[in-house]
Amino acid sequence: MDTLKVRDAQEVEDAVRAAIANEQPLEIIGHGTKRRVGQPMATNAVLDLSALNAVVAYEPNELIITVQAGAPVADVLSLIDSKNQQFAFEPMNTSLLLGTVETEGTIGGMIAAGLAGPRRIKSGGARDHLLGAHAVSGFGESFKAGGKVVKNVTGYDLCKLLAGSWGTLAVMTEVTLKVTPRPESERTLVLRGLDDVTANRAMTQAVGSPYDVSGAAHLPGSALRTTGGALAELAQPDQALTLLRLEGITSSASHRAQSLREALKSFGATELIEDEDSAALWRAVRDVEPFAASGPRALWPVWRIVCPPASGGAFGQALQRESGGEVIYDWGGGLIWAALPPAADAQARALRQRVDKIDGHASLIRGSDEVRASIDVFHPQPGGLAALGQRVKSSFDPRNVLNRGRLSRGPAA
Amino acid sequence: MTILMPEPDQAVLARRDEIVASLRRIVPGEGVISSAAEMKPYESDGLMAYRQPPMVVVLPSTTKQVSEVLRYCYQHGIKVVPRGSGTSLSGGALPLADAVLLGLGKFKRIREIDFDNRAVVVEPGVTNLAISQAVDHMGFYYAPDPSSQIACSIGGNIAENSGGVHCLKYGMTTNNVLGCEIVLMTGEILRIGGKCAENAGYDLMGVITGSEGLLGVITEVTVRILRKPETARALMVGFTDVEAAGKCVADVISAGIIPGGMEMMDRPAIHAAEAFVHAGYPLDVEALLIIELDGPQVEVDELIQRVEAIALGCGSTTCQISTSEQERLLFWSGRKAAFPAVGRISPDYLCMDGTIPRAQLPLVLRRMTQMSEKYGLRVANVFHAGDGNLHPLILYDANKPGEQDRAEAFGADILRLCVEVGGVLTGEHGVGIEKRDLMPEMFSDIDLNQQQRLKCAFDSEGLLNPGKVFPTLHRCAELGRMHVHGGKLPFPDIPRF
Repeated sequence: MDTLKVRDAQEVEDAVRAAIANEQPLEIIGHGTKRRVGQPMATNAVLDLSALNAVVAYEPNELIITVQAGAPVADVLSLIDSKNQQFAFEPMNTSLLLGTVETEGTIGGMIAAGLAGPRRIKSGGARDHLLGAHAVSGFGESFKAGGKVVKNVTGYDLCKLLAGSWGTLAVMTEVTLKVTPRPESERTLVLRGLDDVTANRAMTQAVGSPYDVSGAAHLPGSALRTTGGALAELAQPDQALTLLRLEGITSSASHRAQSLREALKSFGATELIEDEDSAALWRAVRDVEPFAASGPRALWPVWRIVCPPASGGAFGQALQRESGGEVIYDWGGGLIWAALPPAADAQARALRQRVDKIDGHASLIRGSDEVRASIDVFHPQPGGLAALGQRVKSSFDPRNVLNRGRLSRGPAA
Repeated sequence: MTILMPEPDQAVLARRDEIVASLRRIVPGEGVISSAAEMKPYESDGLMAYRQPPMVVVLPSTTKQVSEVLRYCYQHGIKVVPRGSGTSLSGGALPLADAVLLGLGKFKRIREIDFDNRAVVVEPGVTNLAISQAVDHMGFYYAPDPSSQIACSIGGNIAENSGGVHCLKYGMTTNNVLGCEIVLMTGEILRIGGKCAENAGYDLMGVITGSEGLLGVITEVTVRILRKPETARALMVGFTDVEAAGKCVADVISAGIIPGGMEMMDRPAIHAAEAFVHAGYPLDVEALLIIELDGPQVEVDELIQRVEAIALGCGSTTCQISTSEQERLLFWSGRKAAFPAVGRISPDYLCMDGTIPRAQLPLVLRRMTQMSEKYGLRVANVFHAGDGNLHPLILYDANKPGEQDRAEAFGADILRLCVEVGGVLTGEHGVGIEKRDLMPEMFSDIDLNQQQRLKCAFDSEGLLNPGKVFPTLHRCAELGRMHVHGGKLPFPDIPRF
């Protein structure tokens, strides 16, 4: 493996130009925490951005922070936390699930992967918080997208494309992100023992209530049996947990928790969990703790399924029954994490047929190299859309030098 | 016109009768408008200083017709300008003499309301307000609320990534749209997204939103709806200097409070609005803030007190808190009527739209006062203070020779200033033709070329809404060239329009 550690945007530009000239594609990494997500890449040349790690500007009053792409997520989070601020999309830390070294990775990786946590239902995803970026395209040119203010419609919103593009369009060198105030307190209502479909109904009602629910997750008993940490403390044998989070100023969070408890009375008695204990629960949900790589399901492939939220419960219930797998639900049912018993195709074919029926999509987030090489890791798209996606890729990276092959197995991908 | 548009293609104009007849075959009956008199209403959008009759107007009513119109135009090299309700303020829907104007006004159906998935599927001609009205009985609404929401269509909202008072807290169109059906210039119909929170593949919905009708024609939209907050109350706070008002805005936000809306007006705007609607605005202040808190009653009551204390700490001279819904709406009435109110005190005005980092507000206002003296034109300011989105209104009289040109030069200077202090050329109105030639103030040739390459991925012949957004048109083949050994990518020096 040939690794080039770059120190500034100019070196990134030089590296990409050299890659084009030598027809040598590059794998782009920060801390490398998500390297094993996606199709195995068709290159052994690595562009390492971890030395591009400065905080360029942080202006809490403007609700923005500008950092270089290689800045460690943990450092940036602790910096903004010191001003009582946060990334509202609650980025997932994949180290637990993927069994990588204990780091949350870099900001560039966080944006490129775009894996939002439970607050997605209220605050959106990484795409909604990326205000501007400097990046080097596959033309070997540094370009700017967006700006450094929270409201901007000047030109195409290229930032939306960069977020979640898994490094296949451009090498981000600097990003400007929106930060938001951290809620003063949080409350989690816990319902016990609901089946998936009933829990989905409870979550639908909660998220559609005026109480501003900022997290709605359901963990069936089967998924909890083997977990550790905060969820284990709460879990009882084979008993499902449905979690509903309310955040804000203390008086409001308490009041809304009370109102929601009333509204959901028909679903059973609720427990109330506050602040730090609540936060620990949601970290466990965010990071998909029940399927941790150190746990009993370590060898099971893990899928991330996004679907219309009200269809989640029925879908997940049938999936467990027919695949022998386990699931947990986030986003009020709109996000399902599924650990499925190993199979040559990680059950991709059966799963995708099922997901297509509810207009959802499924990506394999944890899987062996062999499995990832043999299936479509990201959900295949219909012909016209796939072709448009390919043209978009080419408009940024016509020689396909950036993370070649990571998104799809197509010849030019 | 001081903005040049692409030279009309005489060969296309010469074929006009044949084109009209072909379009009539695709869209029969009254769906094709070709007489000069009937095309008059389509000559401009909300940027009325610029007018241009289109070659022909087509008003399809089905996706199939849109697809066939576009395919026909694609095959015959005819340009197309899409249009919603025509409320754009940046000339994004300005017709071209040699282009088909494609109006989506007949797409008025609400196709599906899905409360469980908090999604509504509508056709692009449905007005912004109609979506909220359709879900109101269940206590839901659609959050982005451009001030033209009674008239503007959701398709146009997507084209312009529209916002409004609420977008500080609830985001702009892009944060509230889930999916769409889009027809590409070739006539190809694609569906992007649906009722999922996120779509598979590249975020094409994200880049289509705000693309000003240059990438495709939207024929269906799925939007996210939210449950209405329990209650809302507003404060009306006056300051004898603008800097204190600016500090108040910053202090509210750094206290961790994101209001449902936070708007500022300067002295000329306050006086014009008060004379128009009699909202009870104080007339002895330099800046007036209207701050709205929304949410559960208990939260709103507490936050109102916190904000009041912050305002006092910043030296506010007046502070009124709404005690009824009627009073809250009264506070807003002047702000919402600010544009027509200013229209009463001046024969014409230009409404500018730029965003700045909030901390630069006092500097920007001072510099605007100096520019006002330099150009000999008055300026009134209303703006979305919470997110730094300014709307300077430059007052002029089009009947006085040279005033319009002066007003436009003044406006351009303001936008350059916005960029100079770290802001952007437009916060919500879009680039259109109005700010097209200012794009190089903010973006380098490389930046703009990258944007235009993306355009090529959607519209390889550049037939959809040309002449908008980009100051220099490139052919897609030129943009795709790559020459790395010399270290530079050569582009022929193509003249501007």
